[in-house]
Amino acid sequence: MTTITANPSYRLDLTSSPHLHSRWSTKQAMWLVIAALIPSVVSALIYFGISQILIIFVCIFFAMGTEALIKFIRKREISILDGSAAITGLLLALILPPGFSPVFAAVGSVVAIGVGKEVFGGLGYNIFNPALVGRAFLQAAFPVQMTTWKINNYNIDSVTTATPLSMLKFDGKSTAFGNLFMGNINGSLGETSALAILIGGIALVIVGVVNYRVPLAMILGLMLFGGVFWLVDPVKFSSPVFHLFAGGFLFGAFFMATDWVTSPITAKGMWIYGLMISLIIIMVRLFGGLPEGVMYAILLMNAFVPLINRYTRPRIFGVKK
Amino acid sequence: MRTIIRMLAVLTIIGVISGGLLSQISIWSKPKIAAHRELETKNAIFQVLPEGKSFTKMETANLEVYSVFDDSGKLIGYAVPFEGNGFQGKIRMMAGLTSDLDKVTGLQVLEQVETPGLGTKIVEDPSKKEDPYWFPNQFKEVETQPMIGVVKNQKPVNKYDIQAITGATISSKAVVQIMNQGIQVLRKMDAEGKLNNAGGEK
Amino acid sequence: MSSKLSLYKEFTKGIWEQNTTFKQILGMCPVLAVTVSAINGLAMALATTFVLVFSSIIVAIVKKLIPDQVRIAAYILIIATFVTIVDMVMKASYPDLSKSLGPYIPLIVVNCVILGRQEAFASKNTVFRSFLDAVGMGAGVLLSLILLGAVRELFGSGTIFGIQLLPDFYEPMLVMILPAGAFITLGLMMGLFNQIALSNKEKQRKKTIEKYLSTKNSINDPVGV
Repeated sequence: MTTITANPSYRLDLTSSPHLHSRWSTKQAMWLVIAALIPSVVSALIYFGISQILIIFVCIFFAMGTEALIKFIRKREISILDGSAAITGLLLALILPPGFSPVFAAVGSVVAIGVGKEVFGGLGYNIFNPALVGRAFLQAAFPVQMTTWKINNYNIDSVTTATPLSMLKFDGKSTAFGNLFMGNINGSLGETSALAILIGGIALVIVGVVNYRVPLAMILGLMLFGGVFWLVDPVKFSSPVFHLFAGGFLFGAFFMATDWVTSPITAKGMWIYGLMISLIIIMVRLFGGLPEGVMYAILLMNAFVPLINRYTRPRIFGVKK
Repeated sequence: MRTIIRMLAVLTIIGVISGGLLSQISIWSKPKIAAHRELETKNAIFQVLPEGKSFTKMETANLEVYSVFDDSGKLIGYAVPFEGNGFQGKIRMMAGLTSDLDKVTGLQVLEQVETPGLGTKIVEDPSKKEDPYWFPNQFKEVETQPMIGVVKNQKPVNKYDIQAITGATISSKAVVQIMNQGIQVLRKMDAEGKLNNAGGEK
Repeated sequence: MSSKLSLYKEFTKGIWEQNTTFKQILGMCPVLAVTVSAINGLAMALATTFVLVFSSIIVAIVKKLIPDQVRIAAYILIIATFVTIVDMVMKASYPDLSKSLGPYIPLIVVNCVILGRQEAFASKNTVFRSFLDAVGMGAGVLLSLILLGAVRELFGSGTIFGIQLLPDFYEPMLVMILPAGAFITLGLMMGLFNQIALSNKEKQRKKTIEKYLSTKNSINDPVGV
């Protein structure tokens, strides 16, 4: 009887198309994203106090721990050092409200990795952005804690605990642009400082980890759709520049919507994807019951990504349409 | 032709048997269901006007009004079932008002389909802790002049204000709005003298 | 039916192998909507089982009388009768429960578990077999609805059957009693049960192979292996 022994070093890996190519390996890219998030982390610590580092550590620890545990149960290679779980944890921490309970943050991280990613088969197979899945779960599980905003350390005037968007929606008050840009406002940990996000985000675009099309399409879309409503009635609808810097828009545009796995791969697809996200954000912010819609807009469009990829598939060379 | 007759016959027979069975059960269950409803209304009335001992019902064009009396047969207030739209669907509640309609004596939400855990706090506080700002209790002794108002994230200062439930502002506002609208209708009836006539004696 | 199952099998198949919720994935509307607490799940499952058992018996009795063309209409009539009975009895005797189940009791009429069993089983089998089948399927519904309700109630309110099980400092996760929680719980449970079924199958396969190999060895094959 002959036995065929598989030699692991001669294994042929077959994966179905599309294949992404990039000058960075997955591991390198992941660590670059983490580096790009450092300005946002710093801004969070400055504005909300050094104690917020606890939430960030808890999220990263539980995200990596969950990934390792599930890989162990499924008897797969434990690849937590590729940084993808760490990114999910870090991103989740940065979109949580300051002063959020670390216990709930841990629950969110477990759900983000467990339900958002590993259930689908791990990195590369998930439909939705895991960090946003974690946040959506927390939003639905602990709505009161998720919408209680700790007062910003540096903002002496701020007696109220509302974010700029909810102040606008429920009380009709606007916020100064200087504060919006620097991050001297209330909001999720890493989302308040537009400056910090832009530093990290633009650096990512320049080094080529993130494609410029999605953030650009989102920003242009927001300007376009927000601008139309603003021009129609500047009293009722606030200016698109406010919408650009308020809430989680920039953070979502540079770090959430651009996730390799859950965004379209064709150039045309990226434009459609970005524009549609902006349209949904504007609709939620102007007409919806919630003050902010970035999370749901990105999650919703993540679900459309396979469809977008399919319809924007480039023509095969030499084949007639 | 024969199959058509057979089809008709079979369905008719099943229908007749089913109808007969159901009517028998309906005869048994109907008075019980009505009794439950009545008991529910009665409990709600005495809940919102705890000093009440008896009540009479009067139906007007747009509202049912229960006039509530104490031991001696003196009119102490009205219990009125209000209805209106909440966050997701209809909210039905029983409100108790003093006889001059200037103060609320109590509130009980009878039916609602608000978000579980958030909007449902208009009925009860899931933490079950004795909190004076438990939502329906806030309506005790609230003044209705000029209008019941809503404040957020702070204890009410004015005697006509209610603190909204954190995370369920829309449901809280809806309850207050339904109250205000209902009281408006009652005031109009009062001004036209329709309310006092019905008060009468027990 | 070409292959008749044993009577015992006829009863137990509905509990695990053909569980309506986790294996056949039928009647998802009540499964997802009413299982916010164990007691709701129990009440809904009992109502469904009652309707299922009695309609199956009646359908099995009258199956020869009903012309083929109107069989679905006839089944629905029979089912609707029992559903209305349940609805009225519940309203009269358990008003609180009937309030919390809301429109889902009348909706049992269109629960495809029930019509499915009439069409697939009761209309082709004897009364006794149909009865066993209905009770088994009902038990499966009961088990899965209580399980789902209990898990969701435990995490969503910290209680099971209204008895507090988790300590006071546990903050209930609202998502579990929202529709999203139903989907997440159902999905994870389905995955778990599929995993159990798969590993059972794997074990069985290994056992068969071992058995085969041992018999082969004992024969002492002259050719050799």
